Amino acid sequence: MAKIIVYIDDKKLEAESGKTILEVCRENDIEILTMCHLEGITDIGACRLCLVEIEGNNKLLSACTTKIAANMVIKTKTERIKKYQRITTELFFAERNHVCSVCVANGKCELQKLGYKVGLDHIRYPFLFPQCEVDTSHEWYVLDHNRCIMCTRCVRVCAEVEGAHNWDVMNRGNQVRIISDFNTPWGESTTCTSCGKCLHACPTGAIWPKDIVQGQLNKNPGMITELIEKRKLGL
Amino acid sequence: MNRQELKTTIEAEKNKLDLQKTKHRICVCCGAGCISSGSEALLKKLQEEVETRGLEKDVEIIPTGCMGPCNQGPLVKFQPENTIYQKVDCNNIQPVVQAQVVENKPIENMLLFSDSRSKPFVNAKDDPFYKKQLKIALQDCGDINPEKIKDYLSHDGYQALDKVLFEMSPEDVIGEIKHSRIRGRGGAGYPTGLKWETVYKYVSPEKYMICNGDEGDPGAFMDRSVLEGNPHRVLEGMIIAAYAVGANKGYAYIRGEYPLAIKRFELAIKQAKKMGLLGSHILGTEFSFDVEVRIGAGAFVCGEETALIASVEGKRGTPKPRPPFPAESGLWGKPTLINNVETLAGIAPIINKGGEWYSEIGTPKSAGTKVFALAGKINYAGLIEVPMGTTLREIIFEIGGGMPGGEDFKAAQTGGPSGGCIPAEYLDVKMDYESLISLGSIMGSGGLIIMDKSSDMVDVAKYFMEFSMDESCGKCVPCRVGTKMMFDLLQKICNNKGTRIDLNRLEELAVYVKEASLCGLGASAPNPLLSTLRHFKQEYENRIEKEI
Repeated sequence: MAKIIVYIDDKKLEAESGKTILEVCRENDIEILTMCHLEGITDIGACRLCLVEIEGNNKLLSACTTKIAANMVIKTKTERIKKYQRITTELFFAERNHVCSVCVANGKCELQKLGYKVGLDHIRYPFLFPQCEVDTSHEWYVLDHNRCIMCTRCVRVCAEVEGAHNWDVMNRGNQVRIISDFNTPWGESTTCTSCGKCLHACPTGAIWPKDIVQGQLNKNPGMITELIEKRKLGL
Repeated sequence: MNRQELKTTIEAEKNKLDLQKTKHRICVCCGAGCISSGSEALLKKLQEEVETRGLEKDVEIIPTGCMGPCNQGPLVKFQPENTIYQKVDCNNIQPVVQAQVVENKPIENMLLFSDSRSKPFVNAKDDPFYKKQLKIALQDCGDINPEKIKDYLSHDGYQALDKVLFEMSPEDVIGEIKHSRIRGRGGAGYPTGLKWETVYKYVSPEKYMICNGDEGDPGAFMDRSVLEGNPHRVLEGMIIAAYAVGANKGYAYIRGEYPLAIKRFELAIKQAKKMGLLGSHILGTEFSFDVEVRIGAGAFVCGEETALIASVEGKRGTPKPRPPFPAESGLWGKPTLINNVETLAGIAPIINKGGEWYSEIGTPKSAGTKVFALAGKINYAGLIEVPMGTTLREIIFEIGGGMPGGEDFKAAQTGGPSGGCIPAEYLDVKMDYESLISLGSIMGSGGLIIMDKSSDMVDVAKYFMEFSMDESCGKCVPCRVGTKMMFDLLQKICNNKGTRIDLNRLEELAVYVKEASLCGLGASAPNPLLSTLRHFKQEYENRIEKEI
């Protein structure tokens, strides 16, 4: 791959063409906040946390889906971007029922970490408090829609890495929900292999094993990335 | 069929039409509006009436597409006099036939607009409703039977295709379209020629041509009327576009709520295939192109090109970030051209009459004509086509006949849930892409809703926000949660419970959703809110005052 020059936050960088802005930033220790991104699976640009400003383009583009181009001038930390990251985080928290103190993921949650990162001390929007189901029908795992942020990492991991495609999305707008098969209880799924990859891919406490209590969840999304890398190498 | 046979058929059909000039042609509007007010029963009754009177030889009855003044329907047009009768039904058709066919003397109090004009026009073309219009996309709508390919052939149908295949290279076609300066009629107004050229330049053994007929704006029925009234025109546009960019397979994505449009378009495909105008080796040339209809399942977001492509692929209709644009990686990852129905309906005339001719119509930056669906508080609601740059005042007061009861005009809503409201002080705005954007609205697909003082602008903003909230696909956070938050805040203000803080948050959220959303739906969802905040801020202020 040919090397090209890009400018990120006033730093001149040499990078391989064909890479995304996010990849180049991570290689060069430039922090980009993400939520729907998981190394190794298809990027969808849905969470809008990784938005960056590109000189000459009046639109904000998601770093995870936009490829670099020669002499591209990229800004990742403007006031506007920081403000929008905060609003997005607030909307995540206000959308469903995120109560850290009783959550299995407390202390290990990516959403919680994001809150600290953007300096979230309070949420300015009214909490929507939707009535969400908790699906405990699976023998080992639980899906709690109250804590789901619709990043769809579970959907993509299940389809792309495990190849089972148990998960999908139904409805639209703020009524969207993750579904197992054709919206049947997870325990009755005919496609789920109970591999547990979705559990590790989930950034919050929405999917967790039954045998744990508050704050005890141990997730390892890096395991999925590692698996994908190993498969590429034929190991 | 080869080239010569097409020429012979066209000539024969034209001769037939000339011979028929001595006869009466009765056109019964069978557009969706007139059908719902009973024009199909009327058509049957009319046929019976003509048979009883033994007039079959002198009279030809044809069901046609939309004639325009939809709220005056069912409409019946007599040719060659071009006399239109309004609100015709099974009970009053007898005297009309008697007067028009037998006595050759029109019944004045049944003519089009007879209940509102002191002197209605016998030749409808003289009526201000039609006089200010220029029909290009809707040219033959209301004059031909959309279910007969020969009717289309008799009106120069498929001559542009013939010209393109035998006299022009793909580069020539793209050059002609670029020269015409036509811009996408779906709403965004991207130059069509440039779009074609981009797809043409990508080298790929497989390319696709998609016709976007997923018209979803509330109150808009432009694409519907074109598809129902003249499906062959759209099909011809698709074939020409495919030839220009090098596509061999096309899809017409039509929304499921338009069963008549789907039926007629499918029929058009069948007829064109039978005559060798579609399929393999079109008119005996090396060029092959096939079209399939895909039916939408009721999602507004599927009008967004990347979501539409996902839907055609059989996936959940959610948009993808661009770049990559469909021109580079579209349907099944292949270069794909997507054009709106109305854009495609304008292609054949451009080829026939030349890009120069088209570019001279309209304004310097927005060439050609635009179809609007005129609705709301207006005397003559319906479908109109005017040159770009026609003022809003001309549309409302000359074509539309003004406001019912002489009420004062308050605002016009353009572009549906993606557009905005234009207040009375801008009545003289020229309707073109740039002028509307500068007022905080958009041209959009052509919905035009007229409002008088009975409309509350906060309520209007709330209505459109609710629409966008319901139609958001739920993929990205700003649109999924942001529209819901904005709707709740608007609801609060509508209930006189809003505060100054709410208003400030609303404004902040609107800009955020506009700039941070993934696709055009989210990016334009705050427009009705932002434009009413800009032009009617006082109405918001009045609602929150009491609270402080």
